[in-house]
Amino acid sequence: MIRIENVSKYYPTRFGPKYALKNLNINIPDDRDVAVLGINGAGKSTLLRLIGGIDFPSSGRIRSDRFVSWPLALSSGFHGTMTGRENVRFVCRIHGVRDTFEIEEFVKEFSELGDNFELPVKSYSSGMRSKYSFAVSMGFDFDTYLMDEIMSVGDESFKRKCTAAINEKRETANIILVSHNVVTIREHCNAAILLAYGRAEFYESVDRAIFRYQSL
Amino acid sequence: MKARSALSIQRDVIFALFVREMNARFSSYTFGNVWLVLEPLMMMVMFILLFGLRGRGEFGYVEPPIFIFSAFLPFKLLWQLHVRNNTAAVSKSRKLMGFRQVRLFDLFLANSFTDGGVFVVVGVLIGTGLYWLGFNPFPRDILLVMAWGTLLWLFAGAFGILCCVISQFAKEVEKVVTMVQMPLLFLSAVFFPMTIVPEPYRTWLAWNPLVHAMELIREAWFPLYTSPVADGFYLFMWAIITMALAMASYRLSWQRMLAS
Repeated sequence: MIRIENVSKYYPTRFGPKYALKNLNINIPDDRDVAVLGINGAGKSTLLRLIGGIDFPSSGRIRSDRFVSWPLALSSGFHGTMTGRENVRFVCRIHGVRDTFEIEEFVKEFSELGDNFELPVKSYSSGMRSKYSFAVSMGFDFDTYLMDEIMSVGDESFKRKCTAAINEKRETANIILVSHNVVTIREHCNAAILLAYGRAEFYESVDRAIFRYQSL
Repeated sequence: MKARSALSIQRDVIFALFVREMNARFSSYTFGNVWLVLEPLMMMVMFILLFGLRGRGEFGYVEPPIFIFSAFLPFKLLWQLHVRNNTAAVSKSRKLMGFRQVRLFDLFLANSFTDGGVFVVVGVLIGTGLYWLGFNPFPRDILLVMAWGTLLWLFAGAFGILCCVISQFAKEVEKVVTMVQMPLLFLSAVFFPMTIVPEPYRTWLAWNPLVHAMELIREAWFPLYTSPVADGFYLFMWAIITMALAMASYRLSWQRMLAS
């Protein structure tokens, strides 16, 4: 269970504090794959960053006893001047994996990068980059995967591969997915959080959440 | 995934960052590293030309290259480079903050370890070169030299963290720190021993903690040199107070630094 207790997040601006999230209270169960819905600027990505522990709530707290992945986004934390392989090694090391070779080879194969895997990440196209960052996260066994619009990029065959990989992971893990793509959400999720009007609501049914989202 | 203690996570992260830094400096930027060795070498050559190859003079019975080696290298690498790298650490590595394990402070620590390592490597390289040329690059008391070097290293690291924290709120600090480094080079008794500085100025210069670091290293290095001002306790106090300030300011503001 990931408990979000009274979480507020604001950014200081010239016009005073600008709230991205205000007094959020949600519990995310372990056995549901959750979609996060909301219009642009509703705080979806912020919520994901907070859960992923790379940003911190201004007040309130987030509690969890699960291994949560880093938020997988297009711009997620890979160092541009390091090669794909070096980045994988780095990620392995910070996750306490000593024997990095296995994961390196897995990522190389899964991401279909071929020789590009040995080139700096900044030389990747956006499609390659999304494949790459998706592949890296699939190399680790987390309890919860956080994904931010990551699946909207990439070609059809890779999308199929992603779906297969996610379905496999879903047997032991759950996902929290930010997406505007209703089809993707229907395919992967069985619960949803709708962020609207500064509030968050948890929906047991994806269809109902999508209906509400579309009528916002 | 298996659970790790906070300490072992930090150790893993610092190790990963350290390897990454070392990799970046010693493989991809070849010229940058040649420069690390070349600059002190060029300084030494310059001073040999300036003072002639007499092997004596204002320095007492110390050969000019060794004199420069013992002062310029610690100042350049342990102080200047270290302060600059720590000040720039956050803006340079913001990308890495996408992982919850990586904390800002780990960046500083990894940076400090890298700079310490670079200092040792460059020192050994140039020392070997000097030995090969027939000079005597061995300090009188190598442990004492290392101890003062470590103190300077700690001081520089803490000062860099402090500058980094301040520069997140006032960008100009980064520029000021870079600007001050050049005058500091001349005010820190790097190219001259304090014995040749006449009295009122000697006391004034002695307010600068870096003077003490340089003089203490020099005292431990050369058998015949006794510094008129060197005070280990004074440098130690500077280091401790800077470290306290650095850590306090970091603790107060690390979340805001992440957000910006």
